[in-house]
Amino acid sequence: MSEFEQRNAGVVAVSTDSKFSHKAWLETPRKKGGIEGCKYPLLADFTKKVSADYGVLQETSGVAVRGLFLINTDGVVEAILVNNLPIGRNVDEVLRLLDAFQEHQKNGVVCPIGWAKGKEAINPAQAAAWFEKHAK
Amino acid sequence: MSVRVGEKAPEFTLDAVVKGDFKSVSLKDYRGKWLVLFFYPLDFTFV
Repeated sequence: MSEFEQRNAGVVAVSTDSKFSHKAWLETPRKKGGIEGCKYPLLADFTKKVSADYGVLQETSGVAVRGLFLINTDGVVEAILVNNLPIGRNVDEVLRLLDAFQEHQKNGVVCPIGWAKGKEAINPAQAAAWFEKHAK
Repeated sequence: MSVRVGEKAPEFTLDAVVKGDFKSVSLKDYRGKWLVLFFYPLDFTFV
């Protein structure tokens, strides 16, 4: 979580469960399938409206699929990652995206395939120089 | 309705559990900060 805090980012999780279910899960030890000690808020979309608004409500089952939205400081969506139910997420990829969008916001550069913090991004005005140096 | 990159994220205000307490959480609470908002199907599964 500190990795997100260092990047001025909050994290919140949403499901269509009730807040009471969330509380029970938060109070269940990890070894029993719980998430005791989890530091970020769990939101209860009990009416399923927010899941529907974000386009992640699976109508056949009534639950939300694993959708992740990266939202910038102005409330604009910068990235969307959606997995079907069986597959979990990759925190490192979310941090990489945050780094890339923040690099772009701060310096106006664009981040090519595989970019990660510490690698050289592309200044659009001098893209030719970047390709000269990095293209194989 | 669905969400697209480059567009405003839909506003929401929901009941939540924050550090063990029941609270209300809104998208507006995060203006000026980045936000990772993620959905998962059910409590007592993985995320």
